[in-house]
Amino acid sequence: MPRREDERVLRGQAQYLDDVHLDGMLHVAFVRSPFPRARIGGIAKPDGVFVLTAADLGPEVRGLPTQTLPGIELADAAHPVLARDEARYVGQAVAAVVAVSRAEAEDAAELVEVDWEPLDAVVDPRAAPEWLYRYSGSGGDVEGGFARAEHTIRQSFSIPRIVTSPIETHGAIAAPRPDGGLTVWASAQGRDRTRDQLRHALGRDDVEVVVPDVGGAFGSKGAIAPEYAATALCAAALGRPVKWTEDRLENFLAAYQGRGLEADVELAVDGEGRFLAIRARLYADAGAYLYPTTPTPGQTTANLLCGCYAIPACAVEVYGARTTKVPVGPSRGAGRPEAALLVEGMVEEAGRQLGRDPVELRRRNFVREFPHRTPLGYVYDSGDFERCLDRALELVRPERSRDGERLVGTGIGCYVERAGGMWETASVAREDGRVVVTAGSSPHGQGHATTFAQIAADELGVPAEQVEVRFEGGGIGTFASRSVAMAGSAVALACRKLLAEGGDSATVRFESDMVFSSGCYAAVVEVERATGRLTILRIAAVDDCGRVVNPLLAEGQVYGGTAYGLGECLVEEARTDEWGNPLATSFASYHLLTAAEIPPVEPAFVETPSPLNPLGAKGIGEGGSIGVLPAIANAVGDACGRKIDPPFGAEKLWEAIR
Amino acid sequence: MKPARFEYAAPESLDEALGLLDEGSKALAGGQSLVPLLNFRLARPERLVDLNRIPGCDHVREEGGSLRIGMLARQVQLTELEAWPLLRDAVDHVGHPQTRNRGTVCGSAAHADPAAELPAALLALAARFHVRSASGTRVVAAEDFFVGYLTTVLEPDELLVEIEVPPHPPQWRFVEYARTHGDWAMVGAAVAGDRTALFATGDRPRLTRDLAVVDDPWKRAFLEEALA
Repeated sequence: MPRREDERVLRGQAQYLDDVHLDGMLHVAFVRSPFPRARIGGIAKPDGVFVLTAADLGPEVRGLPTQTLPGIELADAAHPVLARDEARYVGQAVAAVVAVSRAEAEDAAELVEVDWEPLDAVVDPRAAPEWLYRYSGSGGDVEGGFARAEHTIRQSFSIPRIVTSPIETHGAIAAPRPDGGLTVWASAQGRDRTRDQLRHALGRDDVEVVVPDVGGAFGSKGAIAPEYAATALCAAALGRPVKWTEDRLENFLAAYQGRGLEADVELAVDGEGRFLAIRARLYADAGAYLYPTTPTPGQTTANLLCGCYAIPACAVEVYGARTTKVPVGPSRGAGRPEAALLVEGMVEEAGRQLGRDPVELRRRNFVREFPHRTPLGYVYDSGDFERCLDRALELVRPERSRDGERLVGTGIGCYVERAGGMWETASVAREDGRVVVTAGSSPHGQGHATTFAQIAADELGVPAEQVEVRFEGGGIGTFASRSVAMAGSAVALACRKLLAEGGDSATVRFESDMVFSSGCYAAVVEVERATGRLTILRIAAVDDCGRVVNPLLAEGQVYGGTAYGLGECLVEEARTDEWGNPLATSFASYHLLTAAEIPPVEPAFVETPSPLNPLGAKGIGEGGSIGVLPAIANAVGDACGRKIDPPFGAEKLWEAIR
Repeated sequence: MKPARFEYAAPESLDEALGLLDEGSKALAGGQSLVPLLNFRLARPERLVDLNRIPGCDHVREEGGSLRIGMLARQVQLTELEAWPLLRDAVDHVGHPQTRNRGTVCGSAAHADPAAELPAALLALAARFHVRSASGTRVVAAEDFFVGYLTTVLEPDELLVEIEVPPHPPQWRFVEYARTHGDWAMVGAAVAGDRTALFATGDRPRLTRDLAVVDDPWKRAFLEEALA
């Protein structure tokens, strides 16, 4: 069934945040830190301009909320709305300046004088003296596993930061209401979490949120930007609507980034090639402050470290290093690609060091019985990892050659990912011969309206055209590949309840444990010996997202996710110089792939329905971004004869093979 | 990313435009380099002289065996040039269709980005740069036109009004490595007959076949392989 969302978007009829205009609306620009770290001696405001600084904020303004998860220790370092005594990354907002247009606000911002005293930056996460969060987990007899091991395989990995780069950047409009409260239009991944975060940051309960059409997020809009809160404070102070549309420079400098992980991993292997234990120390380059979701990628990496393998013991420590860089948070995959790169890289390394076929090592160690509890406590609900591997090998047609002008190699990336979990709501009502589905979780490009209409049509036995889908909040949101399994299941159950009870409407709150999607990506690549130039010859993308509800949309997610993951394989890398100054500040210095760089991708699905929800569904939104990273990394490693860290630019590969 | 304040002038004749150009002015043709620089506030001219309303200078035509490229000719106009295939191949690497529809050939030459394709191709083809100011006209050889990073011989009151490209030699090649299609080159070369212009290897395109001048060993290796 084709997507019903597209025509409106393609005709330019979508209403994104920047398309929203309110009468009397003013615009805000920010004065930002030009230093990775600096003390703020004082701020001189120009006359006749509204300027908001940290000194103007009341004690009720708390900064962004933080979120504790079991086993995570957090520093007292919530992201402030505006820097007070010290700025800790280039781009951190120090003052908000309001004018009648954005251009004039930028002019006025140049007149704000900040007395800066530069301090030393903290660039290397391994050497950072402070942490933002720490996490450790262990299960099984790790010491015993390494003591019994015939071989201990050791390897270190480095995964650079990436800039999430949705087409639509962040943005917010705040407007005072006649009742004294504030309404905030926000580009976000869900209404309710955004509202709760804003209420916390502002220290007031009368804030309501409206989420207009959203032009992409990829994880970057699950937590509010501090600028949303600053915009709301400006509107409250001035009694007029105020808009902030993040521009691309601000998105590069000040929007939370993804990945950024250094890892030292050890794998204990017995004489038969069985994995006995795995342990790792992870150094997350977490940045300057905590967003509510800053620990999520590091913790997810740690908890998925056993991958698809029945490793009986695992111990992992995450050091969420406090660096003087823009903070990190979820970016499509959010810890899952990192985990897959680490564990799949270790399997390849074991193969190289032990002279064993890494494919056979995988077969020997796969989890084969479900549900499977990992040593760190995740419960894999269903899967058939070997069938995914077999299908990927069949599609990719492995090759290897290290003679001649071109080095050819094949790489495998098996993955398992956590998806879904928590709860969602949906209601279904019959109105004038139509069916109206109201879902708690709103989309930002995924195609919820199509999928939910299809689910309701199937359940109720009506044509999908008769089903209207509305998004009115009341759920958690769209992230972690959760919408079909959670909100889709809520829709299905609401339909079943409606049929069973026979009334005009039915509402359901559906709650479930996490589901675990899985898959196997495989790639054949070629490296030109003389120049290091990498060509990806083909990619097989095999995903098991449980029961596939809409094959067209599921394939779309595979292609999109794969393209996303290929970016970090080939070109994406948000570096700083040795003093902590960001080098990625525009699309001239940070690169995204175009259609011209995307190689042929062959998608295929394996379906092992989840027992945890009525649809048997899992998640498909991130699979491509997870599987392609280890597949390409291992293919490059196979071609070049050793592990190389992404991204795989020609110059780096040439250095590695010369 | 909004530009600082500037005065905007949109002259309707070349003479009027030349009268407006001075130290504090910047000429706007396609704007594909200048406008981002304005938006980053890296360029802060007092006055922008928009050339787009000046008639009769958007030509790409053959004249007596040479190619004449007017100052408002867009890059897209080179894409189907049968008789100057080096320019055709080079322009295919310049940005994307949207930017080529606006960006001008003369603007690219005058901007003189050392990683840009068209300056190197024009240098290899021994193009001649016709320059005008209110006080006169001069013709500059390609070897003399590019003098440094984003710098040409153009004075603030001068405009590059036309590029003249001599007949194309039968042998040519265009090679480059860019991270993504349409991105700035990391390294490249334009070859026309016995003239080879290297780009993205220094502060300006360089006319040389001696790859020893390329400091970066990977760039040298790339060019050795690509030009072999």
